[in-house]
Amino acid sequence: MREILDIFSGIAGDSLGYARAWKERTGRPVIGSFPMHFPSELAHAAGALPVIIQEADEPITDGEAGVFSFYCGYNRSVVDQAMKGRFDFLDAIMFGDHCVQLLGTADVVRWNVPDLKILFNQLISSMNADWAWEEARGAFAQLRKELDELLGKSVTDDALRASITLFNRNRALIRRLYALRNTRRLALSARDMQHVVKSSMVMDRADHTALLEQLVALVEGGAVPRSTGMPVYLSGHLCQAPKLELLDMIEECGTTVVADDLYHGYRFIASDVGDAGDPLDALATWYLQRNRKVPCPTRVDTEADWVEFLLEAVRETGAQGIIVLLAKFCEPHMYHIPEIKEAFDRAGISMLLIETEHDSMPIEAFKTRVETFVEISRRRLVAA
Amino acid sequence: MRTVDTLDLTKLSQHNTGTASGKKANRLKATKLGSVIVNDYWADLFSAKEAGKKVVWYNGTYIPPFFQAHDLAWVHGEAWSAYLAARHEEQPAQRAGEDRGYDRELCSYARTHIGQALLDKVKLAEGQLDPQSPRAIAISKLPAPDMLINAYPYCSSGQQWDETIYRLYGKKIPIFNVSIPLLWGGRQDAGYMRGTEWEERSDYVEMQLRAMAAFLSEHTGRPYDWDRLSEVMSFIKKAAILRKEAMDLCSVSPAPASFFDWIVSIAHVNFLPGTQRIVDYFEAVKAEIQQRIADGVGAVPNEKYRLFFDGMMNWNKIGWLADKFAAVDAAVVAGRYTHMSFWQEPELVDLKNPVRGMAQNYLVCPNNHGAPIMIGEIDRICD
Ligand code: SF4
Ligand code: SF4
Repeated sequence: MREILDIFSGIAGDSLGYARAWKERTGRPVIGSFPMHFPSELAHAAGALPVIIQEADEPITDGEAGVFSFYCGYNRSVVDQAMKGRFDFLDAIMFGDHCVQLLGTADVVRWNVPDLKILFNQLISSMNADWAWEEARGAFAQLRKELDELLGKSVTDDALRASITLFNRNRALIRRLYALRNTRRLALSARDMQHVVKSSMVMDRADHTALLEQLVALVEGGAVPRSTGMPVYLSGHLCQAPKLELLDMIEECGTTVVADDLYHGYRFIASDVGDAGDPLDALATWYLQRNRKVPCPTRVDTEADWVEFLLEAVRETGAQGIIVLLAKFCEPHMYHIPEIKEAFDRAGISMLLIETEHDSMPIEAFKTRVETFVEISRRRLVAA
Repeated sequence: MRTVDTLDLTKLSQHNTGTASGKKANRLKATKLGSVIVNDYWADLFSAKEAGKKVVWYNGTYIPPFFQAHDLAWVHGEAWSAYLAARHEEQPAQRAGEDRGYDRELCSYARTHIGQALLDKVKLAEGQLDPQSPRAIAISKLPAPDMLINAYPYCSSGQQWDETIYRLYGKKIPIFNVSIPLLWGGRQDAGYMRGTEWEERSDYVEMQLRAMAAFLSEHTGRPYDWDRLSEVMSFIKKAAILRKEAMDLCSVSPAPASFFDWIVSIAHVNFLPGTQRIVDYFEAVKAEIQQRIADGVGAVPNEKYRLFFDGMMNWNKIGWLADKFAAVDAAVVAGRYTHMSFWQEPELVDLKNPVRGMAQNYLVCPNNHGAPIMIGEIDRICD
C-alpha cells in the first residue's frame, strides 16, 4: 500500500516533471488547465494529457513584478511559473475564470509568454439562470472545437464517452477511499489523501486508475487500523492544495481528518459525468449539478447553500469540529466566512479559521490555535 | 502626451495640501448644476416607497434605463457606498462588515454595502444604533430592496456580493443576474467591436437584458413598456454624445476640463434618470468648455504636464486630489473610468430597438476587455 501511495506522492510533488517525462515518453501533447471547473475529459479524449496547473512550492521571484501582491498565492505562483518558463513545454493552457484575479493572471501570462497557446473560455457562474445549461454546453462545445483545431483531430463522441467512463471510474475509486476512511476502516492521513487526489489531477488517468484499483483491493482485503484522533472536517482552500506541513500539524494535534470539501479533496471527485447520450449535454449537466453536490463559493446559485451543505456534511461524517482553510486574498471564499462562522456557532459546533499564505506560515502559532480548538471541542462533547 | 516619468511625482507627496503652491484646480462651473440633479435623484430615491414605487438594488453596469422605463426606483450599490464615502460615513458601515468577520481585503465597496445592509437590517431594527445619529439617519433613508439585480461585467466578485445580500435578507427577495462576459479577444477575427466573439456576446447579453425586463414585469405584475425605454434612451443617447463631444474638445492645451470634472459627471451617465435635465447638463458643460477654449483658460492654472488616470476613484478625496495635481502643474486630462466606461459608443444605440446597442455598450466597458485590446484603446485615447 505504501508503495502505491509513494508513487502518488512523487507525482503530486512534481506535476510538471511528470508531465514533461510523459510527453517525452509518449510523444503526445500535454494540455495545462486552470483548476476548479473545466472537465479534463475533453483534452483526454483528444489524446492529450490534461494537467491541472498546481501552485508551486518555490518562492515567488520572477512573478513578483508581474502581478499584484494582493492576489492569492495560487495566482502569484502561476504567474511566477509562467515567467520562469515552466510552462514552455505545454502545448496549450485552458484558462477560464472563477474569480476576478484569475482573469488578470490569464492576461499577465498571455502578455509575458506570448508563444504559449491559450484556450480561454468563460463558464457561466450564475448557475440557476434559465440559460445556464445552454451556455455551459456552448462553452464546452467551443473548447472542444478549439482543442480539435489545436491538435488537428476530430474527437468523436465515442472517444469522449470513453474518457468520461474512465474518469468516472477514477473518481468512484477515490470516493471509495473516502468512504472507507470515513467509516474508520482505513488509516489514510490528510497528507496521503491529498496525494491521491492531487496525483489524479496530473497523472495519466488509466495508469492512475489501475493503481487505485490495486490500492482499494488491498485496503478492502485486510482492514488497516484507523487512528483515533478527534474527527474533524476540513473545508475551503479552493484552487490550491493546502501545504502538507499544515495538514500534518493538524493531525499531530490529536485530530483525524475524516472528511473535507477541499478542491484537492472531495470537491474534485464528488460528481460524475453521465456516460450515455450526447457527451456535451452530459458535461453541461455535470457542471450545473456538481454545484448542488458540493457548492462552490465562486459560483452563485440560489438552489445551493454552502453553509447548509457544510453543517450537513459535518454531521453526516461524525466530525466534531470544522477547520476552515482560507487562502489569503481568496475573495470568493472571504464572502462566506462570516456566515459559516455564525452557522457553526449557532449549531454549537467548533470552528477554527486558518488563513494560509504562499510564502510563509506561522505553523507554531497555528499549532497553539489547533490545540485550543481540540480542547474546546472535546469539552463541548463532554458537556453535551 | 508627456509620460509620467517626466513629472516629479514625489512633489505630490511633499505638499501637505494641494494649495501649498497656491495653485488650485479650476473646476468647471457647470458641474455645480450637475450636483443639483444628483441630489434630486437621492431625494427621490429616499421617498420612493412613499411614492408607491418598488425599489431595485443593483450592482454593476449602467442598466437603470430599464428600471426607469418600468417606473421603478433604483439604487446602485457602489453609488450608495460612494455617497456614504463622500460624506465620510462609510467607515462605520465598513466596520460593521468587519465586525461580522468580513476580511479587510474584501473589496471596500462590497464591505460598505454589505455593512450597510447589515446595519440597516440588524442594528437599527434591534435598537443598537442610535436612530438620531447621523449615521443612522443616513442609512435609514435608504429604502429596502424589492428586487436585487446584478449586472457586473468581468468581475465575478460582483455576483457574490449581491448573492450575499440575497442571503442576508433571508433569501426572500427575488434576485436576477445578468452575466456580462469578458471579451478575451483570443480568436483570429477578434478586435474592438468586431469578430465572432463580439457578435456572439452581443446576442448573449441582449437576450439576458430582455429576460431581465421579463423579470421586472413578473415581480411588478405590469407589462414592460418598450416604447418608454426608447424614450428614456433618447435622452441618454443625446447626453452621451454631447459628453463625448465635450471630451474630445479637451485635447487642446491647456486642457479646459480635467479628469476630476469628468469624475463628478459620472453619475449622470451611470445611474441618473434619462431626462432632458442630463441633456441640458452636458450642453452646459460643453458650452463652458468651448468658452474656455476661446479664452485660453485651463483646468489647472499652469499646465505643464498631461496625464492619464488609470484605476478607481477615491470618492472622498476628489477635490483634494484635483488641487494636488493642479499644485504641480499637472493636468489629468483623461482616465479609464471617465473616458472609457460609460455609454462610450452611443451611436450603437438604435432608438427604435435600443436593447442590442445597450448590451454592446455594456460589453465595451474597458475592464471587460482582455489586456491587449484594452491597452490598445488607452493608447488610442492618449494619441
Ligand atoms: S484560490 Fe481563490 S482567489 Fe485564488 S484563484 Fe482560486 S478562487 Fe481565485
Ligand atoms: S471590480 Fe473591483 S471594485 Fe468592483 S466589485 Fe470587483 S473587486 Fe470590487
